[in-house]
Amino acid sequence: MTLEGFRPSSYVTSETVKILETVGNGKAIAAVSGGVDSTVAALVAKRALGDRLFPVFIDTGFLRVGEPENVKARLGEPSLGLKIKLVKAGGRFLEATRGETSAEEKRKKFRETFYQILGEEARKDGCDFIVQGTIAPDWIETQGGIKTQHNILEQVGIDALSTYGFRVIEPISDLYKDQVRILGRHLDVPRDLSERQPFPGPGLLVRCIGPVSKKKLDLLKSSTKIIEEKLGPFNYDQYFGGVIENKFLKDSIYESVEKTTAGALGLPPSETRVDVFEDRVTGVKGDTRSYGRLVGVKIQDESRETYGWLPEKLRLAQSGIVEKFADVTRVAVLVKEKRRGPPLSVIVRAISTRDFMTAAVAQVPWKILKDIAESILKTGDSSRVYYDITPKPPATIEFE
Amino acid sequence: MTTIPVVYVKGQYNHLIARRLQELGVDSHLMPPSTPLEKFEAMKADALVMGGGPQSVRSLDALSDELRDASNLMTKIKLPMLCICVTHQLMATTFGGTTNLARKPEFGPVEVSVSDEDTILAGLKPSFTAWESHNDEIVAAPPRFKVLASSDNCTVQVMRHEKMNLFGVQFHPEVYHTLKGADVFKNFLKVVDDYKRS
Repeated sequence: MTLEGFRPSSYVTSETVKILETVGNGKAIAAVSGGVDSTVAALVAKRALGDRLFPVFIDTGFLRVGEPENVKARLGEPSLGLKIKLVKAGGRFLEATRGETSAEEKRKKFRETFYQILGEEARKDGCDFIVQGTIAPDWIETQGGIKTQHNILEQVGIDALSTYGFRVIEPISDLYKDQVRILGRHLDVPRDLSERQPFPGPGLLVRCIGPVSKKKLDLLKSSTKIIEEKLGPFNYDQYFGGVIENKFLKDSIYESVEKTTAGALGLPPSETRVDVFEDRVTGVKGDTRSYGRLVGVKIQDESRETYGWLPEKLRLAQSGIVEKFADVTRVAVLVKEKRRGPPLSVIVRAISTRDFMTAAVAQVPWKILKDIAESILKTGDSSRVYYDITPKPPATIEFE
Repeated sequence: MTTIPVVYVKGQYNHLIARRLQELGVDSHLMPPSTPLEKFEAMKADALVMGGGPQSVRSLDALSDELRDASNLMTKIKLPMLCICVTHQLMATTFGGTTNLARKPEFGPVEVSVSDEDTILAGLKPSFTAWESHNDEIVAAPPRFKVLASSDNCTVQVMRHEKMNLFGVQFHPEVYHTLKGADVFKNFLKVVDDYKRS
């Protein structure tokens, strides 16, 4: 991979100078999450500000099992030297997002709470600035109206100073993930951190499709652990799960989704079943946000045994459905279901990407998917496990 | 050094175009389509690349502000120009062709068949996989433009002017998953080099 045109050492030098010019003799908070973006942004700022930088980690309650403690310990190690203040705010975030069904509203409520808390922390420490790890796809997607990323203010016309009482510093906002990783290695960030699996700012909130509830969150946490354990060894660029309620549309137009699917798969309609979920998921069609339906496709076990994984045919079914039905943004294939069980589905997603601007579906071996599904269903908190077979575009990487 | 500004029309991948060009050693940054001609002259621009965007260009009377500016820029500037996705369609509409709702939209991977290896498609026969994201398509290329490549769903995947260095591609050569995208940019840079020498 060639990365000409990007020189980490001169990048760090020029950003350090800019930060010093902006902050002067003042102090700044660094909002960190343990991810590579915010860690690298904080380290660049630390070069400029030294002890005048105060790293803060907000526990939003939408994090993975054990995450806050792990991140605090890891970033505090001498090689990185980021002494983290941990702010527990799970209750506030849950309160702020409860009852919201729309993905964009959930994201905006999250952003509001996030910056209120950062503003409070900044005042406590006498800081006039917040350093954050915003990268290029964050402002591109927010400005383009694809989805509201939680760390974008000024680029969409929100004045941080008058609204929250601080100014924003974004030392890596022109970079993509692969460039940030190179910068991280240049700054001696340990490899496991510079290559760490990405995790969105609003975390499990945007993987909990539709309204958030404790039941869905708990299922998501246990499933995430299983998915990360089982898919970790494969080194996919990103892999995770989402949870959605088994509520389906009864609209008759979707009967033809079934026909399109069976046609593309070359199977008799009796060997496929299609469900259209009621809760919407985020996609991007023709450079425009498309908040549409998720189609779940079931292929009879016997035909799958005969035809195997059917990756090419499934791809054709997926693109056929999404082209024909303007309101559909994603297609997932059923891996396993349980007759009786809570009306919740887990959707597994694994992709290959370089810069998170486009993504191809990873061809996870069917045996592994089955294994994941069995482990998830065994916990008794869900009744179906699907695998998302939609590239970006027309889907986005995250579900909401 | 070659200087190629990228005209930013609010598309997801516009910033990536500048990154790709930088990786090929080109001085490239985003510029708004309202940039006056003199400014492009002052910065010694050697060519322009115009990116995609969410707008529709079915009618020249109903263009967004950016695209009206981009359309004006196309007719006035006398530099080699590569237009991508929505500005490919805009180039068709601007020069007398027709853009309409696609019979079948394309999202994600698409096989593009090359009928003519002319200039920007040199070395890309017989076909390559490109990533796309469009609801509209060119239904009639403008007079004096020739079609160089097509896909199953979309006839005018690539076109060029017979005489001038004006090129349009419906797919996104700038995204990582269009693996041959760098070849398209390299071929375009050859056109730009020839133009600089002439």
